[in-house]
Amino acid sequence: MIEINLVVNEKPYTLNVEPSERLIDALRNRLGLLGTKEGCGEGECGACTVIMDGKTVNSCLVLAAQANGSVITTIEGVGNRRSPHPVQKAFVEVGAVQCGFCTPGMVLSAKNLLDRNLKPSETEIGIAMSGNLCRCTGYDKILRAVKIAAEEGAK
Amino acid sequence: MKKRGIGLGCSWYGTGYGNGFPDVSSAFVEIHDDGSATVLTGAVDVGQGSNSIFAQIVAEELGLESQDICVYSGDTDATPDSGTTAATRQTYNTGNAVLKAVRQAKSSLLDYAAHKFSCPTTEGIELKNGSIGVKGDPSRQMPLADMVFQARLAGERFISAESSTARSTPVDPETGQGAPYWPYAFGCQSAEVEVDTETGMVRVLKVVAVHDVGKALNPTQVEGQIAGGVTQGIGFALLEELELHEGKIKNPALSSYLIPTALDVPNIEALYVEDAECTGPFGAKGLGEPAMLPTVAAIINAIDDAVGVRITSLPATPEKILQALAEKKRGGEC
Repeated sequence: MIEINLVVNEKPYTLNVEPSERLIDALRNRLGLLGTKEGCGEGECGACTVIMDGKTVNSCLVLAAQANGSVITTIEGVGNRRSPHPVQKAFVEVGAVQCGFCTPGMVLSAKNLLDRNLKPSETEIGIAMSGNLCRCTGYDKILRAVKIAAEEGAK
Repeated sequence: MKKRGIGLGCSWYGTGYGNGFPDVSSAFVEIHDDGSATVLTGAVDVGQGSNSIFAQIVAEELGLESQDICVYSGDTDATPDSGTTAATRQTYNTGNAVLKAVRQAKSSLLDYAAHKFSCPTTEGIELKNGSIGVKGDPSRQMPLADMVFQARLAGERFISAESSTARSTPVDPETGQGAPYWPYAFGCQSAEVEVDTETGMVRVLKVVAVHDVGKALNPTQVEGQIAGGVTQGIGFALLEELELHEGKIKNPALSSYLIPTALDVPNIEALYVEDAECTGPFGAKGLGEPAMLPTVAAIINAIDDAVGVRITSLPATPEKILQALAEKKRGGEC
């Protein structure tokens, strides 16, 4: 077992993890943060996206031990029902959610884009969201929601 | 060289199981003494939004808001069977069962209310904005919750169970005669593409999609279904191929079976036509699968329009397009 220290959603944790344990398993099984979804388990679909030290990562491709000393944001750390993040608000407003399995990853990719770039172009939004696959929505409303959130944030 | 072209695709699609297969949906409804209602159905909402549709149907009938309706769905211990979420059938078929059920519960409520308001018939009883009363008589109105509460104390309950079966007869294999599906969905889409004649790559620049939905019960969901269908259609036309080897799938992963990403989707203009389907709930019919069908034909026709080659097997990969262009050149048609 390896002892790691990390900050998840602004809370510090010390965990004893298996050497082969993935970050997604530590988040879901040890911390009970079930908002992070496992889609393909091979870094293709982006459902397991979390923000690690300011960058989006596929938490299925990161070992928990590699996350030692890092600061992580999962979907549980982004807004809530009473005060949703502007990205979440825009997703609800335009109806950018269908089955919802990709949504946590989508929201985190969008949030991370807007954290770094207040006025992204349509191409920049497309590139930022292209690592997250969605089979239901056709991306149309998702891209529109990110654009609305960017416009709201820039005001 | 990059060449552009425009193509059109049209579709008609029989919704429901079809060919005489029993296509049955069922629903339970209860109107409660707090002015809310619950609907139970076996229909599974996989993201297309059937739960919202059922809440809307019940709310519309009872003069409530859809947030006043609690939908329990897809619980085999508690909900009645409504068949699969397949065949573009839940809004139409289970929607019909929910509508029949809420009307049945409402009918006993109206009987009780007519008696309470000393009306000879239920004719003039109106459910509106959470109230129940006699149309045009402000003195005989009360909150729906109060009426159901009074009824409850008097031992009355407004609970119903209904089912709805879609019209379908098998096709006679000898004559080809029969009425296998009802209703049919119609759609038309046009696509603009850009074909790179050096690489064979196709980019879809724009898709305009128009679908006859009978009645759009939830326009946001209609747009979402169309955009989702168009994007799956783009995958079907250009990217997606299930490769089999001796019955085994060779590409069972998203790294080898490519589906469209946010960068592959064009500007999608989702439009709909409302031509009420008289057998559907409030005129609605299904849209799910039909939204992806015309996309494929529109894209293949647009490729033909752009570079003059006919692709006859899907997906239209760069390799197939380059091969077709080379054959065309050899044939001297250029």
